[in-house]
Formats: sequence, C-alpha cells, structure tokens
Amino acid sequence: MVLTWPVGIGRTTQRDQTSGHSRRKLLSAGALLVLGGAVTPLTGCDLFDRDDQPAPPPDPLRPMVDESLALAAAYRASATAHPELADRLNPIAETHTAHATELARVIGVTLPSPASAAPTTAPAADPNSARAGLRALEKTAQQSATAACAAAPAERAALLGSIVAARATHQEALK
Amino acid sequence: MRQPSAGEALASALSAEYAAIYAYGRIGVRLTGAARDAARQAEAAHRRRRDALVVQLTTGGGVVPPDRAGYALPFPVTDRASALRLAAEMEERTAAHWRAALASTTGADRDQALAALVEYAVRATRWRKTAGSTPLTVPFPGRPT
Repeated sequence: MVLTWPVGIGRTTQRDQTSGHSRRKLLSAGALLVLGGAVTPLTGCDLFDRDDQPAPPPDPLRPMVDESLALAAAYRASATAHPELADRLNPIAETHTAHATELARVIGVTLPSPASAAPTTAPAADPNSARAGLRALEKTAQQSATAACAAAPAERAALLGSIVAARATHQEALK
Repeated sequence: MRQPSAGEALASALSAEYAAIYAYGRIGVRLTGAARDAARQAEAAHRRRRDALVVQLTTGGGVVPPDRAGYALPFPVTDRASALRLAAEMEERTAAHWRAALASTTGADRDQALAALVEYAVRATRWRKTAGSTPLTVPFPGRPT
C-alpha cells in the first residue's frame, strides 16, 4: 500500500535513543526497589544519580540555530565586501536570522548573539566567486535541513520544510 | 486543531494541484517565448503530481476529491505582468498545501511532500525573477501569512 510509511533512519535512531534511556531508567528504578529494603534511600540515590541522570541530550535542532546564524554572517560579510550585491544579499541574511530566531523559539533556547557566528572563511575577492561560495553553503545547508525534516516529529516538520525550501530558493536567487 | 490524516492532507494537495493546472491554462496564453515554455513545464509538473496523487489516493483507499470545471483566481489575468504574478502565486499556494502535508506524513510520503514544497518554492522564485519583482524569495516558503 502506498500510504504506509517506512520509518526514516533518523527517526529510528531517535526512538532507539529514547527507549534506551527509558530502559535504563526502568532498570535503575527496579534496582532501587530491590535495594530499598536493605540500603538507605539516600545511598541508593547517590549511587544511581551519577549514571542514571545524565544531562538531557541537546536538542537535535540546536546545530541548525548555529548553522542559520553562520549563514546570516556569511551573507553579511559578502555584502560588506561587495556593496553592489548588498541589495540581494541582505534580505537573505535577514531570512537566515529569522530562521535562527524561530528555531531557537521552538527548542526553547535564547538566540545566541549574532557576533558569535563569525563566518569561518572570508568572502571571495570577486563578486561572482562570492556568490558561488554562498550558493555552495546554501546547498550543504539545504541537505542538513532535509535530513532534519525527515527525522523531525510532526510539529516541527513544517517549519523545517520551509527552511529547506528557503535554502533552495536562495540558491536560485544567487544564480 | 486536529492534525489531518495523511490521506486528508494529500487530498488537499490534490485539490491545489487541480487549481494550479487550471490557472496555468490562463497564464500560458498571456506569455510568449521562454516564459511560455516555462509555464508549459510548470503545468506539466503539476499534472504529474496530480496523476501520482490520484493513483496514490486510489490505491490507498483514500478519498479522491473531484476536479472542478473552474477555479476562482485570486486576481484577473489580463496581461504578461498579471500572468507572471499569478504563476508565482499559484506556486506559493501549492507549496503551502505540500508544506501542510509534512506534519501528517513520515518516511517516503514526507520526502515526496518536501520535494514538492521545494520545487514549487524554487519555481515561484524563478517567476519573480522573470517578472523582475523583488524580493525574489520569502523567508518561510509555504507558511500561511
């Protein structure tokens, strides 16, 4: 049947991680119950807290916040180096900042300051190469957003889909 | 609000494809040369997705919404400029329906919805470029405004 859905690889991994975590918790809870009679609860907690309550895993979308900010920074750097492209590049930089803002809101973190996302490479000296460089960045970023969208829970899929599409349209706009 | 089922979301995407195909019939006659060819290709892409959806919904036992004789266009198409504007608008509208289908689908169905959203968003950008309108892109393609 066409409307049956093979589960994406990313999804499977995520679920496994979750269930692994629950299993550990369950086991530890069982162990605590068993120990409960003989050992004081405090000792038990100390023993198990170390292993069983790791810091919550970072949100899988956290890297995309940084990625969006880095893209915005790359566009701003190119716009500064090539003022004749600024009219084209600045709106796209704003879009990437808007993506970062929205992603940060969804995962419940404060948006890091844009200054922390300095572009890793300087824009090319000639405008055409600078545009080609940005296109390459967008292409890579589109791929990472595509993977994130495929693995995302329902409530995040639409936002991620828009980000994938935006990154694709930027490549078109830079041509 | 209740999350629509995958079948409902795809049926809604199908209705949007019908409307896009209808609109391109009005758009194409106002264009010439390369723009007309582009309109023909765009219409063919919407027809392919329509056909695939009809097969998919039929095979899956879903409801296949009927096509209608006509669709209300958001504004009249009277010349090249309005034809290009409508083409961009129709791409954005169909993209929005596929975007909405993302939440209701997983796996291959979600991949298919994402491919449609991306393709139509890119085509909307191309139409804006042909029309010479700015900005060429929108921040969140397919998101209801």
